[in-house]
Amino acid sequence: MNHQITAIIKKDIRSITSNKRMFITLLIVPLVLTIFVPSVFILVFHFMPENNTELLELLELLPLSIQDGSTQRSIIKLILNYIMPIFFLLIPIMAASVMAAASFVGEKEKRTLETLLYCPLSLKQIFRSKVMASFFLSMFVSAVSFAAMLVVTEAEAYMTTNSFVLPDLKWLLIMLLVSPAISLIAITLIVRVSARAQSVEDAEQSAVFLILPILLLIVGQFTGVFLISSWILLAIGVLCGLLAALLLKKCMDNFKYETLLK
Amino acid sequence: MNAVTLNGLSKTYSNGKKAVDSVNICLSAGEVFGFLGPNGAGKTTTVKLLNGMLTPTEGSCTVFDINPAANPQKAHALSGVVTEHAQMYDAMTGMENLVFYGSLYGINPSESEERGKALLRELELTYAENQKLASYSTGMRQRLSLARALIHQPRILFLDEPTSGLDPESAQNVHRMIHRLASEHGITVFLCTHQLRYAQEICTRYGLMEEGRLLAEGTLDTLRLQICSGMTLKVKASRIPETLLCKNTAPGAFELQIQSEEEIPAIVRKIVEQGGDVYHISAELPSLEDIYFHLTGKEQTT
Ligand SMILES: Nc1ncnc2c1ncn2[C@@H]1O[C@H](COP(=O)(O)OP(=O)(O)OP(=O)(O)O)[C@@H](O)[C@H]1O
Ligand SMILES: [Mg+2]
Repeated sequence: MNHQITAIIKKDIRSITSNKRMFITLLIVPLVLTIFVPSVFILVFHFMPENNTELLELLELLPLSIQDGSTQRSIIKLILNYIMPIFFLLIPIMAASVMAAASFVGEKEKRTLETLLYCPLSLKQIFRSKVMASFFLSMFVSAVSFAAMLVVTEAEAYMTTNSFVLPDLKWLLIMLLVSPAISLIAITLIVRVSARAQSVEDAEQSAVFLILPILLLIVGQFTGVFLISSWILLAIGVLCGLLAALLLKKCMDNFKYETLLK
Repeated sequence: MNAVTLNGLSKTYSNGKKAVDSVNICLSAGEVFGFLGPNGAGKTTTVKLLNGMLTPTEGSCTVFDINPAANPQKAHALSGVVTEHAQMYDAMTGMENLVFYGSLYGINPSESEERGKALLRELELTYAENQKLASYSTGMRQRLSLARALIHQPRILFLDEPTSGLDPESAQNVHRMIHRLASEHGITVFLCTHQLRYAQEICTRYGLMEEGRLLAEGTLDTLRLQICSGMTLKVKASRIPETLLCKNTAPGAFELQIQSEEEIPAIVRKIVEQGGDVYHISAELPSLEDIYFHLTGKEQTT
């Protein structure tokens, strides 16, 4: 990676970390999702009367792989390995969208993009460095959120069941395949919108389209209609990866001086 | 090698507006080219074409033999550009901005800082070096843009109204700097401006645009020849003989067209012989402003 690209990446990331409003948005949502959501579930089930027959019946419907010793352990397992992985996908989408909106639309809005275009970098280099800045930030926020979630849920698992409930293979797929792919999709979506969007907020709102399918998956988990497995996740990840590559290529081809300076 | 050539350059925007219409210009290195014309004449469009931001619909242009449309990276490495739309980052200080842009030109931070300091000193911005750009005034931003455009020691500067928004003192300062850059460092300057008086002081050549067409091009002398030969003689006298064809511009003030200074003594003699008193007499060559108004066909309202 050459110096110019690193300079742009550093500048983009610094510009978001030095903007308080933006940085807080970037931190609060992941923390709510990864600390607050699982904690509420775990604690609510913990303080519920053990012999709640309806709950026991529900748990019996779950695949054998989840049923694990005590009811409490099964519930933690359900939350950590089935519900949270889907919730978690909101984090890279959000982080990547916020960052990409600032990086692409923000520069246009503040008229700094034109200056950047006058520098001796090819459009490809500019595009690449901006995508990378958003991607790195999104991966960083995801990693921090995952770590925070793990620490909190494991602590709660230990307090309520005196043992740990380990994350399974799905998390590996989420962190290494699905999150990166979905971040890239979110970035390309913002770049596409940025040609038309006149403000950063406009662009950010378009990320809603990505959140909808995730919300469907979450509902699926809760109603038990459709429980996610490692295989399904792998398939989703590969599909998203391919889609991301395709969209990136298309976006790059549309990245032209004339369309950028409109 | 020419610094800039425009070869039948034309640009029609997608909405059908022909902003630049078969323009031919050829500039040698070290020239200060004043690109003049009313609003909407196509000056900014030409600068964008010369920087590869737009591709010509017809014809071509080169900057030091590089075609900016085909090879923008190479052209950008040689050019420094100041336009009203090219802003810098508000959240960074003046110096941080310069160092950032320096790094995009492959200059290491300590070198950028050194050059930045010298440029800021010259532009009288040293006091604001460590202020965030958010607190800069329009004029300060404009001067910092000039420093940014010079950080990589370009061979050619494209300046699109670099002094709009500057107070007279800063404007004069910037014009002096442009003049020095050209005369001492041999930098070619392509200057779009509406400030005709300053343009007349610092430019070596002019191009006058209107509605996309190049109306006239050349040095001040060749332009003068194009509109009229001769000069305007201004006379203040108590009385002037009717045989002299002249315009009475104010009570006791007259203007007449002459071909050369040789005619002045005879005119003065005539006035005196008819019993008139002469208080003032001066011969003026047409200024850039006169030429501008003459060629664009708009009457000067002074
Ligand atoms: N992106 C665009 N799309 C369509 N028409 C445009 C576009 N940009 C400029 N024009 C038109 O092209 C013509 C030339 O514009 P240009 O900006 O080059 O003028 P200019 O000489 O720089 O004027 P000014 O002195 O006001 O800066 C104008 O009539 C303008 O309306
Ligand atoms: Mg203009």
